[in-house]
Amino acid sequence: MGCGLLSCAVLVGLWEGVGSNSENPITQVLPPPSQFLPVLFESDFKIGLGSQAASIYQSVAVTLVRVLLGMAIAFIGSIFCGLLISLSKWSELFILPILGLIAPIAPIAWVPLALVVFGISNLTAIFIVFMGVFFTLTIATVAEIKRIPENLLMTAQNLGGGSFARWRWVIVPAILPGIFTLLRLNFIAAWMAVLAAEMTGLRDGLGTVVMTGRNLFNSDLIVLGICIIGISGFAVDRLLLLIQRKFFWWQV
Amino acid sequence: METGDRNLPYVSSTPILSCQDLAKDFFEGRKKTTILTDLNLQVEQGDFVTILGQSGGGKSTLLKLLGGFILPSAGQVLFHGVPLKKITSKIGMVFQENTLYPWLTVEQNIGFGFKIRGKKPDQYAAKVNHVLEKVGLTQARQLYPQQLSGGMKQRVSIARSIAVQPDVLLLDEPFSALDIQLRRQLQMFLASIWEDTATTMVLVTHNVEEAILLGRKLIVIGDKPGRIIETVDISQQQFRDRYDNDFLELQRHLESVIETDVNTQAALVKAGETR
Repeated sequence: MGCGLLSCAVLVGLWEGVGSNSENPITQVLPPPSQFLPVLFESDFKIGLGSQAASIYQSVAVTLVRVLLGMAIAFIGSIFCGLLISLSKWSELFILPILGLIAPIAPIAWVPLALVVFGISNLTAIFIVFMGVFFTLTIATVAEIKRIPENLLMTAQNLGGGSFARWRWVIVPAILPGIFTLLRLNFIAAWMAVLAAEMTGLRDGLGTVVMTGRNLFNSDLIVLGICIIGISGFAVDRLLLLIQRKFFWWQV
Repeated sequence: METGDRNLPYVSSTPILSCQDLAKDFFEGRKKTTILTDLNLQVEQGDFVTILGQSGGGKSTLLKLLGGFILPSAGQVLFHGVPLKKITSKIGMVFQENTLYPWLTVEQNIGFGFKIRGKKPDQYAAKVNHVLEKVGLTQARQLYPQQLSGGMKQRVSIARSIAVQPDVLLLDEPFSALDIQLRRQLQMFLASIWEDTATTMVLVTHNVEEAILLGRKLIVIGDKPGRIIETVDISQQQFRDRYDNDFLELQRHLESVIETDVNTQAALVKAGETR
């Protein structure tokens, strides 16, 4: 943690050093923090023009809600579907290949389709996140269920547990940590998908901040947007790690 | 039936667990391997039977058959005189390892048999406390399995099975992953549990010493295919001293029985190959 902060400070220092010369062409494209941060305060934390302007908090919140909601729905849905699929050998044989075919489709590729179906709305963004995470997680759920040591299941049956009780008290807790870890790894993909959607179709969120900067030829705003995207992405990843360590720490 | 001076709940003429002409084959593609053949065995109420044999010699398969975990290829297992068709909570099983639920504390693991049957915690808390006390794990009740040593883990496994009060407890090499000191401690632990609870026990092991020390009836299973090659009744002089002369003599005898069997089988296989 300390080392990370130090290296960040060194990076910012270098950046400021190079950027202090306003003649330098790099400064035009990549203004240093001392130059783009004041934009926030000058504009009263608002970005955009006139009535369309949204506060920076709103932009962050909108994007985060979309990503987290999409991931939560995909998480619960994929566990449920994975459990159903693993009920029968046939569904594994027939359904898994289809999922395997859909999973590698880049979530960004769903953007045009989602815009047509859901229009410019939060639903579009949530749908894209969902599509980016759901199939991979469902396949993983089926794999995790297969990985559960047979002894754990046999012991539950031996202690008098019926099949639903074994699902509820053994299979679900046994797979949760593995699925959550994968969710965390897939967060980056979901994050990118939402930002791409916000840059191409939607009218609010963090991606829109960067695009507004582009439309106004305002490199301060572009770099500001990029930095906020980086920092909030990092924060969410840490948050997920924290949740994992607190609630899903065990290994089966 | 020899019951010694122990007070048993009842003495019935039918053995609690028995098998008749039991056999088990496994198939690898079309190749049939006979794991067990012609097994006849009786376990009396309250008895402690140890099954001794080489590693990989079908002992675990026999135990799984006795617990209803797998079904025999021929013959049948009778539990209270009735054919056994599936896993029942009346026949508990303790595996060698990997049996504690890592997301549950010691206490929750021991209460798991009640929880999974839909009981509320306040309905079984007293029973769990009682078992915790009996197995000396009260201090460790809030710990998770990953915080326990190998010996403690096995004690919790045994405690969890005992908590639901099975008629028979099957133990599949429960101590073989442990070092020798712990192994001896846990053997004494298991003996005291058996004396306290009067649960019928069947223990599988490849360790001759352990088999003699714990068993009142000792069954030696030969290798490939598994079948009974020797039965020893030691209920009259239950050993607790591993340096006793009779103990050592029996140990030597059993080791030679196993070795002879291994050599004979190897010679048979060789003869079959050259033919």
